[in-house]
Amino acid sequence: MNKALLTIGISLGLSVPLAAQAGPEEDFNDLFAKAQSTHKDAGTFQWTVTSDRLSAAESAADNGDYEKAKAMAKEALELAEESVAQRKKQQEAWRNVAIGN
Amino acid sequence: MLKAKVILVAIGVALAVPQVQAGSTPEEDRKETVEYFKQMFPDVAIEEFVNGQYALDEDRRKQWASMQDFPPYEFAVAEGKVMFETPFANGKTYASCFANNGIGIRQNYPYFDTVKNEVITLELAINRCREANGEPPLGWKKGPIASISAYMASTSQGKPFDIKVPDDAEAQVAYQDGKEFYYSRRGQLNFSCASCHVQNPGKWIRADLLSPTLGQPANFPVHRSKWGELGTLHRRFAGCNNNVRAEPLPAQSEEYRNLEYFLTYMSNGLPVVGPATRP
Repeated sequence: MNKALLTIGISLGLSVPLAAQAGPEEDFNDLFAKAQSTHKDAGTFQWTVTSDRLSAAESAADNGDYEKAKAMAKEALELAEESVAQRKKQQEAWRNVAIGN
Repeated sequence: MLKAKVILVAIGVALAVPQVQAGSTPEEDRKETVEYFKQMFPDVAIEEFVNGQYALDEDRRKQWASMQDFPPYEFAVAEGKVMFETPFANGKTYASCFANNGIGIRQNYPYFDTVKNEVITLELAINRCREANGEPPLGWKKGPIASISAYMASTSQGKPFDIKVPDDAEAQVAYQDGKEFYYSRRGQLNFSCASCHVQNPGKWIRADLLSPTLGQPANFPVHRSKWGELGTLHRRFAGCNNNVRAEPLPAQSEEYRNLEYFLTYMSNGLPVVGPATRP
């Protein structure tokens, strides 16, 4: 019984630092998923430059270059956030310039 | 006290309602738009706006006039006529799908179908006609669909656009959606259609001379020198979106059809001049 508990304890103990230090692939996957989701949230206000960065990130990840993939995904996320902000702002702002608003 | 509150609320409602409704009907929008462009270009006759940049710049107009001796779209129109008249496998032709057998009807497109609750463009009607007759749909942006559409437009040349927005809630929504799209800034460059074609027509953006909103759809399909062939209005929409780094939407998407609905309504009363040429 004690031996079993000891084994479980050691296993858990070893797994904690592993979980805490997610690898570059996991970091990329999280960032990429967030960028994709934000890009989707832009709806009909998506930017082509965001799509380009997402493609570049995916391509770098396929080649195993996770540092570049992360950098591209980060840029994609920032651009996607700007496009979402644009979409929200334009929901009302368009009326200010429309003829016959 | 209660009486005073009621009076205040009544005054508030009375003041608010006209503001909401002001300029909100399609016809009021169109009239205001016409006035806006008349003031912007007092020397340009209103019918001339269908010629886009050629109505605004003498040098460009001269180049265009010389090109009209042998218009580059002529072969495509002839090809479109042949396709239009060639029977489908079931023996019927495109004529069976359209009012007046498809001749001289371009000025009525797009229209709002109150049964299907959607905007029907001419290209959409062409492809739906094919599918109804067991034929595969054509690509939306160029090639055969542009040629057929160009031939149909050529049979309407000179007829004034007569787009209707019926007294129907869904039709009004479609019109308003198109209007919102036209005036909403998009893309990394933060431009709306109106940024160029309402606020800056007649000005140069790099090597392009910006055309006015009025008359824009009247010359489609167009043969652009840049394309080297005929293309549809939705091909141009996608190109404009792409230019401002906005992700283009699919041709004949609901958004682009609503945009075409609004834009063509603005040209009501102006003549069909398509197909035409553009740089």
